[in-house]
Amino acid sequence: MRVTRDIGKLVPLATATALLAGLPFVGVGEFTITLLTEALIFGIWAMSLDLLVGYAGLVSFGHAAAFGLAAYSAGYFAREVMEDFFAALLVAEAVNVLVALVVGFVIARVSGIAFAILTLCIAQVLFTIAVIWRSLTNGMDGMVGVPLPKIFGISLASGTAFYLLTVFCLVGVYLALTRLVDSPFGRTLQALRASEERAASIGINVHLHKWLAFVLSWAVAALAGTLMVFLKAGTTPMSLHWTESGNVLVMAILGGIGTLLGPVIGATVFVFVRDEFTSRFQAWQFVFGLVFVVVVLAFPTGLVGLLNRIHGLRRRTRSAGEFPAVIKRIRSSLWRARL
Amino acid sequence: MDINFLLANTLNGVVYGAFLLLTSLGLSLVFGLGRVVNFAHGALYALGGYALIVVMQQSAGYWLALVLGPLLVVPLAIAIERAAIHPLRSRPEIYTLLVTFGITFMIIGALEYIWGTGTTLVEVPSPFAGTVTILGNPYPVYRLVAAGLSLLVSATVFAFIQFSAIGLQIRAVTDDAGMAEAIGVNTKWLLTAVFGAAAGLAAFAGALGAPIFAIHPDMGSGILIDSFLAVILGGLGNLPGTAVGALFVALTKSIGGGYVAEWSLAILFVVVAIALIFRPTGLFGRGRVA
Repeated sequence: MRVTRDIGKLVPLATATALLAGLPFVGVGEFTITLLTEALIFGIWAMSLDLLVGYAGLVSFGHAAAFGLAAYSAGYFAREVMEDFFAALLVAEAVNVLVALVVGFVIARVSGIAFAILTLCIAQVLFTIAVIWRSLTNGMDGMVGVPLPKIFGISLASGTAFYLLTVFCLVGVYLALTRLVDSPFGRTLQALRASEERAASIGINVHLHKWLAFVLSWAVAALAGTLMVFLKAGTTPMSLHWTESGNVLVMAILGGIGTLLGPVIGATVFVFVRDEFTSRFQAWQFVFGLVFVVVVLAFPTGLVGLLNRIHGLRRRTRSAGEFPAVIKRIRSSLWRARL
Repeated sequence: MDINFLLANTLNGVVYGAFLLLTSLGLSLVFGLGRVVNFAHGALYALGGYALIVVMQQSAGYWLALVLGPLLVVPLAIAIERAAIHPLRSRPEIYTLLVTFGITFMIIGALEYIWGTGTTLVEVPSPFAGTVTILGNPYPVYRLVAAGLSLLVSATVFAFIQFSAIGLQIRAVTDDAGMAEAIGVNTKWLLTAVFGAAAGLAAFAGALGAPIFAIHPDMGSGILIDSFLAVILGGLGNLPGTAVGALFVALTKSIGGGYVAEWSLAILFVVVAIALIFRPTGLFGRGRVA
């Protein structure tokens, strides 16, 4: 039973992966591929945020910290020591996990608004350090000269090869996270989201689980940061700025939190829409802000929720009114969550 | 260490603290009243600066513009509250943070579109252009005047909340919104009005600070984060706590900044984080978890 269900899930995933990986070979231009690479990297990052926001119910307003820190550590290592992708990733993971263990131990004690503001504070501290510590980070000018990564000793070309690596990472993270959120650990996180008090009263160690969720989220974000520093051949303190933290939250909410797939879709739409806006409108920031306000007000369940609602309406006309499981889950996450 | 250097930094800290008090008061009031986390407060502060320029361009003097400019921001803030924040009443409070984040982008985007990303300087109004000697050190008079005005306005706000009928309603709703509504307080109207007034305070701070800090579209981000820290440190929605928080944040930044330069921000964050670990409701918070 479980096997057939898994196969049922795997077929669409495999099809989507094949389609995504096939894009460079069916005449999609190099510019679009680069933009898509960026979008998918943001997708990994947004998924790591979804683990916190959508599942554990902890809204981080400083997730740029996890992204930028990994970008700096991976980029510095690749430039100064060796260009191997996995070695750089390992370094970024080690730094991120270490920092998340220390910071998370403290931050897991609070929830809600205090959690949002404290995460914002951490990102701002890292931002300030990145600006001041010129000998290591080159200050506001940013770190430059990060080489192309090597995989098993072979230098990876930019463009298609790097895009395929990103697709591979994205699918791997998606598979791992979908398993994780359905595991007992993932269920426990969702129990915390519903009510920390109730979870504590049935014997769940609330602090430990929030701490672990924070560390895991930073570990996933480290992969995104590593990919990004190689894609851009460098990074700047702006990768740690609060506007970036806001952007990734926008991606996750735009796509639909608590769905994992939603944030990836949200990130893709975000990157392409922003690209259109910046070239089309002079006041793109204004238009971007307006779109965000409308999304938060009118479509709090995001694009995935919207699709489900359309699907649900169509189904309701056929049979008795019953919401699909996904929208039920998002609804409960929205209304019952003690954010 | 040089005592004059310490004195100058302390004075700067007190002046900045007076400005921070104006912005944090509004932030704290709105949170206490409607559980609204207003991320656009910094953008409204910036709008105050630009409103000042607009009025001054109509050949009005600085002092007239200082009164009229912020009044222009109030209706806009009321419109924002009605259109974007009011519909979120039944949703978790984090949504107010998200929607005001979007509004911040809109306001900054509009300011950059109309006035560009450059910095505009405003001249110090004539009678206060000089310096005054404090313990043998010259210090700009306008800074002291502006700080005094900020404190005066803040004191008026405190008195209004403590002694007026509307102030009583505000305190009642902050204490227990459901109960206040049950005995006939119109919480919706009150939140709209207080949101407008808080925006007016922020805009007034922006206009008052224009001759000191100069005007640019992103001028609000720094003071926004400092205000958040002050409000959280003092306990969300707790006004006396907010005042202490504002002074603490401003002094830490300017005195620390004198010796360790930009690291003062990092030190401040660490201090606030440590304070929050031991008192998650803020230093003066009473029971209610943020």
